[in-house]
Amino acid sequence: MRQLKPLARRLLASPYIVWAVLFVLAPMVFVVYYSFTDRSGAWTLENILGLGSYAQLFGRSIWYSIVATLLCFLLAYPLALALCKMKVKTQRILVMLVMLPMWMSFLIRTYAWLVLLQDEGIVNHWLDALSLPRFHMINTPGAVILGMVYNYLPFMILPIYTTLSKLDGSLHEAAHDLGANAAQTLWRVTLPLSLPGIASGITMVLVPSISTFYISQKMSTGNIFMIGDMIEQKFVMDYDLNMGAALSLALMVMVIVSMMVMRRFTDNEGEVIP
Amino acid sequence: MKKNRLIDLQNISVTLGDTPVLQGMNLYIRDKEFITLLGPSGCGKTTTLRLIAGFLQPDSGEVFFDGKRVGDTPPHRRPVNTIFQRYALFPHLNVADNIAFGLRLQHKSRVDITRTVDEMLSLVNLKSFANRAVASLSGGQQQRVAIARALAVKPKVLLLDEPLGALDLKLRKDMQLELKKIQRRMGITFVYVTHDQEEALSMSDTVVVMDGGEIQQIGTPIDIYNEPVNAFVADFIGESNIVDGIMLRDDLARFSGHEFVCVDHGFAKDEAVDIVVRPEDVDVVAPDVGMLRGTVTTCTFKGVHYEMIVDIGGFLWMIQTTDYSPVGAFIGLHIEPDAIHVMKKSKYSGLFGDYSCFTEEYYELSEPEEA
Repeated sequence: MRQLKPLARRLLASPYIVWAVLFVLAPMVFVVYYSFTDRSGAWTLENILGLGSYAQLFGRSIWYSIVATLLCFLLAYPLALALCKMKVKTQRILVMLVMLPMWMSFLIRTYAWLVLLQDEGIVNHWLDALSLPRFHMINTPGAVILGMVYNYLPFMILPIYTTLSKLDGSLHEAAHDLGANAAQTLWRVTLPLSLPGIASGITMVLVPSISTFYISQKMSTGNIFMIGDMIEQKFVMDYDLNMGAALSLALMVMVIVSMMVMRRFTDNEGEVIP
Repeated sequence: MKKNRLIDLQNISVTLGDTPVLQGMNLYIRDKEFITLLGPSGCGKTTTLRLIAGFLQPDSGEVFFDGKRVGDTPPHRRPVNTIFQRYALFPHLNVADNIAFGLRLQHKSRVDITRTVDEMLSLVNLKSFANRAVASLSGGQQQRVAIARALAVKPKVLLLDEPLGALDLKLRKDMQLELKKIQRRMGITFVYVTHDQEEALSMSDTVVVMDGGEIQQIGTPIDIYNEPVNAFVADFIGESNIVDGIMLRDDLARFSGHEFVCVDHGFAKDEAVDIVVRPEDVDVVAPDVGMLRGTVTTCTFKGVHYEMIVDIGGFLWMIQTTDYSPVGAFIGLHIEPDAIHVMKKSKYSGLFGDYSCFTEEYYELSEPEEA
């Protein structure tokens, strides 16, 4: 095929460039601009300095999202390992099942949990029917974290599964051959070689978890506030665009830092950097 | 002799999917020998290796190590190590850590590990490569690391699965010599799998020729070459002209319309047999004194000799000779009694040994493909 001229190549990219400038770059500029101005548009550091009073909220968001990410990993890794050992046909069906919930609106799915878990909800009715004591589940941190784990689990499973399924089976045999039992093989070979998948799984769960607002609202019926909820409140209820922007900026910086940390584990091809 | 058996495979059958891969195989391997399993792809040689390593369980039959059954022993508890076809080096570890992998699992002291790793690195001539990433090494170097890694844990047996298959010809020849040297120096048993007959002949103490999941012949390289048991072995090892013949009596065979004195006996009177004559054992003489006469159809210069195809009564013979005869020449052939090898008829009779469809191109195509 004839090589495209640089100009032609640039033309091909132009629709996306226009899109990115309008809907990615411009909003970011606005976020930064609003963060450093007050209502009248005057330059100020007040918003940034005021972030300190939201420390508890940030702390809670970080803590919940770390717990959710960890739980996702603990659920996803053994599943991905088991998947890789199955017949290819079974693997395909199960991977589709993992992705199946993603075909449904995540709003509806989260709302369904509310119906299940609330004090007069389905689970408690079942417990009643079995003459077991009721549980208070909704409005607890556990419920919020459950919502995050449920929603973001596929994003942990898929990258780990992809990395594991690409591993050369003879590496496991070589480890066994050299005297490693199953646990030692997992620890010394499989786990280090699947780090790229783990890193991208963590990124893909941690980032949306840390900024979530809908899940925490629904699973706590508005009682447990996370940083995402606060941003929404600032923009939608309080019309405090400047504080909302400052909170968004802080969140963005945190996400970028965590992604940079994760990037250290993978290079472009997803290979492990020694 | 029984005491000398390090590994004993008894009546082993393996079926993978619906395909029977090994059928009632019996094989013993002596301590400290270099034994090669040789055969075309699909003959069951790699399966045999995986049985010994413990990656595969036989459907029936028993594997013995030092007289003890090891059917239930997992790979990591067997005193054998494997060199995998594509080396299977750990990409997240450097050269030294790859070699130390097995030693760390044995909880050796730091000093011991460092010493053994150094020893192994110098054994395979990679002294200055300890801290290199394995991905930065050439195929030949990776091969050496794989050997060092396997030998570091001091196995009793080293299993090698077509280890030189991915290397180019020159490197392959060097590594053949080096492997043989390493085997002697370490004083351990090597079980070597290959489809390359030349490799098998030049390295092994014992060659096991396999086809269709069955052992065709076990013997020293010289035995296998000079005394093949059937047409398959004769054809697979080196070049062979294999013709139908009749044993008139001991030491006298008739084939290609002529009676030949030979040195084979023990056949029934007038028994139908397969006769093997190696191309290099045929002398070109004047037509009037030749035992056989024929017309040269092709003549190719091969460096050391000419390779000619000679049409003798419709059967095409391959002859390797230093005497040039042009295409179309009518020549006589002389065969010494000890150049004639007589084999009993087998299921392979008539399948091999005729060069009628032989062309240079065909020769290239029939070269075993690189694994």
